[in-house]
Amino acid sequence: MLNMKNISRIYRSDTIQTHALRDFNLQVNAGEFVAVTGPSGSGKSTFLNVAGLLDSFDQGAYELDGVNIQGLNDDELSRLRNEKIGFIFQNYNLIPDFNLFDNIDMPLRYRGFNAAERKRRITNALEQVGLASRANYLPSQLSGGQQQRVAIARALAGEPKILLADEPTGNLDSLMARQVMELLHTLNTEGSTIIMVTHDPDQARAVGRNVQVIDGQITDHSVYAPTHDNASIAVKV
Amino acid sequence: MEMFNYYLKLSFRNLIRNRLFFILMISTLAVGVGVFLANIAIIKSMSSDPIPYKSDRIFNVSLNIWSLDNPDAELIEVMRYNDAMHILKNDIATHTMVHYQSKVYTRDINAKSLTRHQAIVRATTQGFFPLTDAPFAFGGVWQQDYAKQIVIGDTFNQQVFGGGNSVGKTLEIGGKPFEIVGVLKPWNLKPVFYNAAFDQAFNSTDDIYAPIETAMDNEWAIDLRNMSTDRIHSVSDNRGKNGFFLQAFVQLDTLEQKQLMQQYLDNYSQHRKAQGEYLRANDNRLLDVNEWLTHQKVVDERMLAFALASSLFLAVCIFNASSLLLARYHSARFETGLRRAVGARMKDVFYQGVVESMLIGSCCAVLTLLFGWLFLQISMTLFPALKQTSDIDITLILMGIGIALVTSFISMLYPLIRSCRTSLSTTLK
Repeated sequence: MLNMKNISRIYRSDTIQTHALRDFNLQVNAGEFVAVTGPSGSGKSTFLNVAGLLDSFDQGAYELDGVNIQGLNDDELSRLRNEKIGFIFQNYNLIPDFNLFDNIDMPLRYRGFNAAERKRRITNALEQVGLASRANYLPSQLSGGQQQRVAIARALAGEPKILLADEPTGNLDSLMARQVMELLHTLNTEGSTIIMVTHDPDQARAVGRNVQVIDGQITDHSVYAPTHDNASIAVKV
Repeated sequence: MEMFNYYLKLSFRNLIRNRLFFILMISTLAVGVGVFLANIAIIKSMSSDPIPYKSDRIFNVSLNIWSLDNPDAELIEVMRYNDAMHILKNDIATHTMVHYQSKVYTRDINAKSLTRHQAIVRATTQGFFPLTDAPFAFGGVWQQDYAKQIVIGDTFNQQVFGGGNSVGKTLEIGGKPFEIVGVLKPWNLKPVFYNAAFDQAFNSTDDIYAPIETAMDNEWAIDLRNMSTDRIHSVSDNRGKNGFFLQAFVQLDTLEQKQLMQQYLDNYSQHRKAQGEYLRANDNRLLDVNEWLTHQKVVDERMLAFALASSLFLAVCIFNASSLLLARYHSARFETGLRRAVGARMKDVFYQGVVESMLIGSCCAVLTLLFGWLFLQISMTLFPALKQTSDIDITLILMGIGIALVTSFISMLYPLIRSCRTSLSTTLK
């Protein structure tokens, strides 16, 4: 599904170069749930930006769902983002004066679906996250957890190949965080491929695979056999 | 079409959401375009062709017979009575008219009131009417050079007789009766090309048209400008003397007629020189209507300077609007970044901006027309001389709408390009 080989991303200013990613190698198969952890500034977000085609890379090779990213123009990258990737942001990133329906409608518009198809997908997505009755609500009328579920619905509506979540529970209290994580696990169980950046070691352990990033490189790669009480067994790879 | 409707919906939402901002921005543009439009309206009117279907066949005759030999002197627009009569009677032109302007005080001879109306008189020849295509509502032109007959204009007819067919009625001018033989329809010439020589190109057409011989015999000479090297006691005393006060226009429909007329003028001036008159270098000119108006500088240079100033003002308004939009796009970059992240192409963001600019441009166009009209009224209040020149016709309305749309787009272009190039990774978390 996602295959990065020797990816480097360097940020340059007049005087310094910062290697946000260096020789970054990662392969994620369809149906996996991967947690990416690491300290602040380690390169987690850069990895997620590159993986989500929001940022470019300087060296290496990146294949997403069999498509080589190198050399694609803006139109092609935009189409890939729209069709294959669903984003879940820490701050939900909902448009405040759009109701839930219109927020979820946005990526579908750019896909060119007709009104009936868009409505079908939006309804399904809202049902999946348990907010079908609130399509006409504004984001401000929902709790933080509900807003994040709307963001997940927006990501799901396009039926993407992969979900990229950047600290999806970072702004939520523990109860809401647990609900969102349960939703993500359910989606994974149903077949969604998910890569999640998180600071929370418990959340990382609760997913199938944990990748630790330090100084732009993967330093630890563990596969867990998660249990219901989060008492996982780690296997170093 | 579906995406266009979506962009339109988003644009409306943006306008409503940021209405104070957009009111400020649209007003800024509309003031700039409105001032520019008002200025263009005046200049367009000043520089318009008053008789486009034959302006290249009507010529002012400038006969270079002024006695002082000054090579730097301007072309002379007026000529002597005898010179004018030679041109009138040479049978080369299709139509010839000779004229001068004066003023009289007159009343309906049958009116109970003794109040007299001030009226502008065009002392001219029969050829005036077919040459200028002055439209008759009733009657026609006098048939004899010395007839005590006149033609009156529509406004004057309304003013004195209340309109209608006034042919056969009589005006009293200077205690003498003058029969009305023709009444013109409403008639506007912009500019009044035959009257352009004395900064009167933007006056109304005349009140009374009278045979030139009759006008001279009755000494109608109020405000008459007469240059002379002889002692001349009255306007009728000009006959046979060096009094320069008449203008001549000829209609020459063919190139051959024009060449013949030019030859005639050159021969005539040479003949006068041979008879001992002081002449400048042989420089007799036939200027067609537009050349004549250009020569007379009917488009005021101050207006051209103001046009430059209003263009610069418009540029400042565009820069201001652009700055405002840049700030707005900066504040809206989250939404732009989000749209890009979920699949909008750069061109989608650009198209949405273009639709928004067209919506802004449409609002701006409405305000522009309002401001344009307002500035025109202010201009006419401040400068009454502009009253006859200035109106906003359909061409200018379309131009105003076009300029409003284009300036909106220009204002939005740079902010839009910046917006399209927003780094996605830095705007989203």
